[in-house]
Amino acid sequence: MELFEFYRRDRWPHVFCPGCGNGTVMNCFYRAFSELNLPLDRTAFIGGIGCSSRIPLYINSDALHTTHGRAIAFATGLKLSKPELKIVIFTGDGDLGAIGGNHFINGCRRNLDMTVVCINNNIYGMTGGQASITTPHDFQSTTTPFGNKEYPFDLAEIAVAAGANYVARWTTRHVHELTKSMKTALQKKGFAFVEVVSQCPTNFGRRNKMADPTQMLEWFKESSVRRDKARLAAVDHVDLNLAGQITVGEFVDRNRECYEELIGVEKHG
Amino acid sequence: MKPVIDPKLCKGCNICVYICPKKCYTKGAEISEMGYFDAVASSTEKCYNHNREGKLICELCVLSCPDQAISWHPEIEEEKKR
Amino acid sequence: MTIAPGEYFVQGNEACVEGAVAAGVRFFAGYPITPSTEIAEGLSHRLKGADGVFLQMEDEIACISAVIGASWGGVKSMTATSGPGFSLMQEAIGYAAMSETPVVIVNVMRGGPSTGQPTRASQGDVMQTRYGSHGDYQVIAFAPASVQEMFDLTIESFNYAEKYRVPAFLLSDAEVGHMRGLLTVPDKIRIVNRKEKGLRRPDEAYDVPDDLVHPFPIFGKGHKTMITGMTHTDDSRIEPEDAKVHQQLIKRLSEKVLKNRKDINKWELTCPDSKTMIVSYGSSALGAKEVAASDERVGLLRLKSIWPLPEEPIYEVASKCDQILVCEMNLGMLYWSIKRVALEAGCKKVELLSKVGGEPPTPSEVRHKLRAMGAI
Repeated sequence: MELFEFYRRDRWPHVFCPGCGNGTVMNCFYRAFSELNLPLDRTAFIGGIGCSSRIPLYINSDALHTTHGRAIAFATGLKLSKPELKIVIFTGDGDLGAIGGNHFINGCRRNLDMTVVCINNNIYGMTGGQASITTPHDFQSTTTPFGNKEYPFDLAEIAVAAGANYVARWTTRHVHELTKSMKTALQKKGFAFVEVVSQCPTNFGRRNKMADPTQMLEWFKESSVRRDKARLAAVDHVDLNLAGQITVGEFVDRNRECYEELIGVEKHG
Repeated sequence: MKPVIDPKLCKGCNICVYICPKKCYTKGAEISEMGYFDAVASSTEKCYNHNREGKLICELCVLSCPDQAISWHPEIEEEKKR
Repeated sequence: MTIAPGEYFVQGNEACVEGAVAAGVRFFAGYPITPSTEIAEGLSHRLKGADGVFLQMEDEIACISAVIGASWGGVKSMTATSGPGFSLMQEAIGYAAMSETPVVIVNVMRGGPSTGQPTRASQGDVMQTRYGSHGDYQVIAFAPASVQEMFDLTIESFNYAEKYRVPAFLLSDAEVGHMRGLLTVPDKIRIVNRKEKGLRRPDEAYDVPDDLVHPFPIFGKGHKTMITGMTHTDDSRIEPEDAKVHQQLIKRLSEKVLKNRKDINKWELTCPDSKTMIVSYGSSALGAKEVAASDERVGLLRLKSIWPLPEEPIYEVASKCDQILVCEMNLGMLYWSIKRVALEAGCKKVELLSKVGGEPPTPSEVRHKLRAMGAI
């Protein structure tokens, strides 16, 4: 499938800022989806509210643009009412981890058969750059003008603890690894979570001395450390996250029964 | 195959300039019709995919470009000789 | 799956369960909250395997969101709650209105505000049903006053949600939800299904013009549907900056309901030519009905649908009587709208019997008020 058969060409150029990581994630996702030859007409895309949540509306298939934080809840209903549909969710750090936190952890716990791509740009970009639950400590945002006093969540680790079948995290600097993980996630039965740390040069980078998107990509490269190596080094991954390191890699790949199997409506999408 | 930047889509972020391992791109100095300083695919003969058909070796620029502005095109005769 | 025709002695909430099943519900997402929990429990038994899906979600926001998502998969879906949960659901209800998703929400009203009286009745959520979410939209709401109506009006809630692509509400309360009484299940039940995009079949939903209620594009059928809560055009382009697009959309969302009031209005009249008319709904009408049935000086207009407000029967009644008494289990909510219509119709005396605290007005309380009004 060509790129612009997958995406709605009449909606290009898209609204994302110059240098925004969303477009990079869209490329990797398209590659993963089309290389697997998945049926686009039987896949539904769901987003909450935020820049990355708009991605479903750019795809040439059924798209549900829902309310802030609730994509997983909407998806639960859609998937269970029509189990043969494949469900892919695009969300962001605030949408998923702040307002959507409850649906996030319960979605993992239920282990519904869906793929969730969380584009974590460490900020609330669409509304102008307010701090998010993944904004690193001491960083600037419009609501933390004296530096962020809070410490960030580690969304991928939360997904692991909550029971998701597949969890991976990469950055937009890791396009090959990201594409490969997306392919695994799309084929995985159960809740497959891929977190992508991504650049928001306009509302995050610009206020934190990284206005140029390439500066943010370099920062991702410098701060990334393989999670399996970090664990072997007996370093607490929580401390790493809190210190601004980004642990990347495949965090978990297990085969717990998915919710559809448990309630007897299983038709793997 | 050589990379071609679509001036209707490029927003001049220069990620391609940064990411290309063979330095095929440079920052542009001219404002495009869309109002951006588009990057320029200035040295495509250095590209890993130069004069290559079939499976491409490197696609970092295409995968990274946030605006889907880069696509692969076959070289014209003169370009093949570089 | 539907309960067999015949007579049953059941609880109001149980009758609601049977009504939903008879209407064809195939997805229910609920959260435990008194006095609605029996509905969730009942459907957890009925919706399994091929019959449908039952889910207990993590909170009420998840419930209403899941129910909307399920509707886009093409199935009839429902949730049930009470005051505190109903408040949580308001954002998503607005989304259902804006995206024109047919869903049914049962609110078994209890004493409020806040945690209030969990096990006691009230009618304190009637305005919230109409205006609970932000912005301009119309809803359809029914007020059952008996076990039978918990069955009948649940089915009607589904029918109208499907026909007009709106969130529809069954506004019960702790009295009607928990009372036990006779349910008669008929041989034939009128069921309406949504107009499906790309399909044409004999169903009254298809009689509504397409430019007022668009055919519903079920997901997974190749329609490449784009659904959003943002202001959008008829072909689903997002246009929040365009004033004209917003005006047209909002107007249509209102008109599709208001223009069809005649179809939606449901009411019951007892002694319609009396000099004094009581206007009431839900369990507030129970005491009034007893009074009206036994005294021809007093009549009762019992509203079975309350949104859109059935202005026509209220106007009709008000133009013929001398005075009106509104009975409600709140401090006066529908009273003001009923009074407005009555004044327009020329009835100058419109009084309120407001009873809060958890129990419906008794017949003697109604008679006491009527005496004070000089009606009896």
